Amino acid sequence: MRRTRPLPDRCLISFALIGSLIVGLTVLALLNMTVRELADIPHVIRVATETRVIDSIVTTMGAGALAVVILIFIGTPLAYILARTNFAGKGVVESLVDLPVMLPHTVAGILVYILFMQRGLIGAPLDAVGFIFEDAFPGIVIAMLFVSSPYYINSVREGIEKVPIHLENVARTLGASRFHAVLRIVLPLSSRHIMNGSILAWGRAIGEFAAIIMIAYYPMVISTLIYYRFTTGGLKESSTVAFVMILACFVAFIMLRLISRALGRYDDRV
Amino acid sequence: MIEFNNVCLQLGDFHLHDVCLKVGKGEYYFILGPSGAGKTVILEAIAGLHASDSGTVRIRGKDAGAMSPEKRNVALVYQDYSLFPHMTVYDNIAFGLRMKKLPPGEIARRVHELLASFGIEGLKDRHPLTMSGGEQQRVAIARALAVEPDILLLDEPLAALDPITKETFIGELRDLHRKHGLTIVQVTHSRGEALQLATRVGVIIEGSLVAEGETATVFARPVTKQVAQFVGVDNILDGVVVRNHDGIADIDVNGEEIKAQSDHDPGDSVTVCLRAENVGLSRADTGGEMKNVLKGVVTDLNPKGPVVRVGLDCGFPLAAMVFQKTIDELKLCVGDTVFAIFDAWTVHLAEPEGVC
Repeated sequence: MRRTRPLPDRCLISFALIGSLIVGLTVLALLNMTVRELADIPHVIRVATETRVIDSIVTTMGAGALAVVILIFIGTPLAYILARTNFAGKGVVESLVDLPVMLPHTVAGILVYILFMQRGLIGAPLDAVGFIFEDAFPGIVIAMLFVSSPYYINSVREGIEKVPIHLENVARTLGASRFHAVLRIVLPLSSRHIMNGSILAWGRAIGEFAAIIMIAYYPMVISTLIYYRFTTGGLKESSTVAFVMILACFVAFIMLRLISRALGRYDDRV
Repeated sequence: MIEFNNVCLQLGDFHLHDVCLKVGKGEYYFILGPSGAGKTVILEAIAGLHASDSGTVRIRGKDAGAMSPEKRNVALVYQDYSLFPHMTVYDNIAFGLRMKKLPPGEIARRVHELLASFGIEGLKDRHPLTMSGGEQQRVAIARALAVEPDILLLDEPLAALDPITKETFIGELRDLHRKHGLTIVQVTHSRGEALQLATRVGVIIEGSLVAEGETATVFARPVTKQVAQFVGVDNILDGVVVRNHDGIADIDVNGEEIKAQSDHDPGDSVTVCLRAENVGLSRADTGGEMKNVLKGVVTDLNPKGPVVRVGLDCGFPLAAMVFQKTIDELKLCVGDTVFAIFDAWTVHLAEPEGVC
């Protein structure tokens, strides 16, 4: 039997129209840029193949990916604690986790800078052993880690909360330690949330600018490069770099979404 | 085997008050109680998933306070079966064996043995969420038994099954208990299940254990009014003892007198408990020395298969359970006056309030 489509009512139609404003804005901005850029394709190719641009994109995406890998190792245990336990001061910890979302990026940058600069509380002792954050790749990673951590932690926490505690309890009565129950039951069943959290955090990390330039102007991340080109070479120079970055991000995100769709099929059903 | 000594436990808004219970080796112990009474919490405390705030839990004679769940060798099957949805049936059953780091050959042998004994070989490669409730139940029990526990905890294992599957399962659980020599603690709110399977029962209401003992005793001779209500005594009447001659007490219930075998003294408040099947009906007053005869008006005739539940007004409501044949013989209709007759020894007196 053919499924009958529900008749759209006035409310749905008006919501869709209002909602289309925001989607329309993004589409318009992208189209506007694409049309301008495609008018001079050789220029786009020249910029896209420029070593400096490629280096910047690789640095940005690589540093973001490294920040996410670190987050997986240190953020997942925290997400588990927040999802499964109650303790005095939990609200404070939750607020601290969320803090980077609220802070202006420049403030986040200053916080990171004064902690990790060569005279900083953590920066100084690490500088002594030759590990430098200031104007170095680790500085980019640490700034990205700070601003993107809430996105990862909150997403994974939500995933863990969705895994019924009974499954973990049963695993334990069957002889699994808590660690093994988490590893074999909780994490596989939260894999889609872990993936989504990682994508969100990675996206947030590669979009960061203000917090990064405070601690590491060099090596240039893509945002720094675009800003630099904008202030020195003008709009045409910078917008082409931006266009190349948009294409790179677009491809990367589509691939990640495809991978995450295959992951954690059981998330919906547990 | 399992011993709770004055266990108190708080979980959010829920409290377990001063619970004392003892489950002997090889018993089929039932924890009975209405929904939300704290039955599952007791099971989880036995499994080591909750630590008690005070009191001690002993398992196999040893204090289990510091023993983690994985070290207790106590298997737990939840009402929702809690099968691991990302694993096949085979992997679900093998989980505990893998955790024990058994050699793969041994794991395969044991899993196949269990699959065969539960008749679920065909489900080996299926994922749990594609299976029926009965199938999931079998897998859950097979998985629990894989680690060869001597204590099995069952949380409402029959609640989600259809009536036919349920009957089959009651038989299977009985066999399981006998064959494996297991100590089973089962939680339920169904009195029928307890009557069919339990060797002993504990009744828990609002976080307190209000009765414990042999199944027949707890059901036939409830200690308090609360327990009587829960175990489904049909006639529960409040009264006061007016006199007592040689162990036969006369109890005033709403102006009528009822005789019961009891040591209660005059002036004591009691709760009269009387099963409907112990009340006979007659058109004539055929009373005797040790019989209670109450005149009443039929208010309700409610057929339940071969028997009929008759509602009477004797100055207070009274229920009788008689065969349809009796109704036909007496030509009983609603509004008729009839005599309700029951022996003094069938009347049980419970405490009106409080715990045992």
